[in-house]
Amino acid sequence: MSKAILKNFRGLRALVIMNPEAGRDTLERTLGKLGLEVIVVQPPGAWGGPRERFDLVLFDADSDAYTALDGAGLLGLPLIAVIGSEAPSQLAGAVRHRAASHILKPVRSSGIFTALLLAMNEHAARMRQHQETLALRRRLAGRRVVMKAILELISHCSLTEDDAYEWLRREAMERRIPMEDMARYTLELSTKSGVKQLRVTRPG
Amino acid sequence: MYAGTLLAIDEINASPDGTVTIKPVAIDPAGQLAGYIDGARALLQEHRLSQVIGCYTSSSRKEVLPLFEKADALLWYPSHYEGFETSENIVYSGAAPNQHIVPLTRHLLKHFGTRGWMVGSNYVWAWENNRILREAISAAGGSVLGERYFPIGETDLADLVRQIVADRPDFVFTTLIGKSGIVFLNMLRAAAKAAEIDQQFEMPAASCSLSEAELHLLGDSASGHLSSSVYFSTIASPENRRFTALWDARFGHLGKASADAESAYVAVHLLAGAAARAGSAGFEEVREAARGMRFDAPQGRVTIDSGNLHCWMHPRIGRSRSDGTFDILMESPVALYPDPYLTWANEADDACGPDLRLIQ
Repeated sequence: MSKAILKNFRGLRALVIMNPEAGRDTLERTLGKLGLEVIVVQPPGAWGGPRERFDLVLFDADSDAYTALDGAGLLGLPLIAVIGSEAPSQLAGAVRHRAASHILKPVRSSGIFTALLLAMNEHAARMRQHQETLALRRRLAGRRVVMKAILELISHCSLTEDDAYEWLRREAMERRIPMEDMARYTLELSTKSGVKQLRVTRPG
Repeated sequence: MYAGTLLAIDEINASPDGTVTIKPVAIDPAGQLAGYIDGARALLQEHRLSQVIGCYTSSSRKEVLPLFEKADALLWYPSHYEGFETSENIVYSGAAPNQHIVPLTRHLLKHFGTRGWMVGSNYVWAWENNRILREAISAAGGSVLGERYFPIGETDLADLVRQIVADRPDFVFTTLIGKSGIVFLNMLRAAAKAAEIDQQFEMPAASCSLSEAELHLLGDSASGHLSSSVYFSTIASPENRRFTALWDARFGHLGKASADAESAYVAVHLLAGAAARAGSAGFEEVREAARGMRFDAPQGRVTIDSGNLHCWMHPRIGRSRSDGTFDILMESPVALYPDPYLTWANEADDACGPDLRLIQ
């Protein structure tokens, strides 16, 4: 069964970068009903500074809120664009900043929960993908070391390629370290001609 | 609903203080979406009304809402619904999800078990209630034995009933509405009897919409179904005795007074109270006066929440009887805060968490 979606946003801190005439009251009131804590700043936006912790940002895409977004390290957060003008020149900013969802003006109470729910779930999915990408990159970078260690094991310990790989994998698992680290360790010992210390045997 | 509205209007117009007089304009959309749109246009644009009571399904409400926003008018929506809306153009006098499905879920899991079957008419009310129940069942480590949806009005349910009886769940949760609901309960009772199951205690059918209005259509299988509602005609209070006496004398042919009748009756009284407080029938004046407005309703004291314009109400669980009424098995001792987005209620938790706001 697929995992339940995020749907309760009680206690989240939302930064709202908007002018009052853009429908900010309705937005603030509705976010409040949904249990969020709302911190409002006027564009271009200056507040307690980037040290303050927020969980998401809602910004007026028709204003110069982008200055605040770019300047304060808010880009790793879920962003919701509040959009009036549908001119591509205006929308480009929302695309470049990877807004995770949007609310159309005039701001009505309906639609806000949807925008919030889509943004939080989309952001969570992006974060998961990001973590996966990092892990894959790490493994990719380590491939060369692993290959080198396998060659080393083949030539010094008379293992086949498959056995060398399997040995590395099992040793890494037993030591609870990444395979790349195990490969590095193997190479280190090998240069000190201590590879025998490892008591390499063909995996049973 | 219409009947409940009429009772309240007559009461208010006959009231000796005479601060508020209501001259209603009635339109019957005949359950058709187009009828709701045309009706709302006529009421708002031709008659220039700013206060309207009505709509039953969520789709009808969503359909007319833009017209109310455009016309600066207030809709008093007297039906329990699935929540996830807080319009500034609507006062919701029916129960929110934390006031019907959440208490029923707790009751079922605690008293009957965690193996459930879910069946419903194919629309949002059923999907959302089943979503909440499904998550609670899974959090309790139970299982959903089956989940099926049928077009509204479908009566070919023999295969479904056969499957349910074969699966022998701890309970059956139904969101089938109208004719489908009646046919289903009759067939389920008959099939369970044939399989020698005492259905009302061993495999009860539970719902958030079964009311007195349907019971008298169920015939022999009217008894032993569970229903979650803020109102049953058997509530023992002076306010309810008065209300049911008025109802029985005038609308007894429709069955006993039901939750929909009561919430429409309550909506009119709240509207009259807000208009009296505002000294006006204007949209904003009445809406602002309505915040915090109270009424000693047949179900107990009802208060309009000043934030979300839904009502603090009294959740109850009833078990139907063959005479077309309900025995009340459980009732909340206090009015419960309306939580349309289920932000504060803990859906899966058995106990009332510290986040659940209560009033004395």
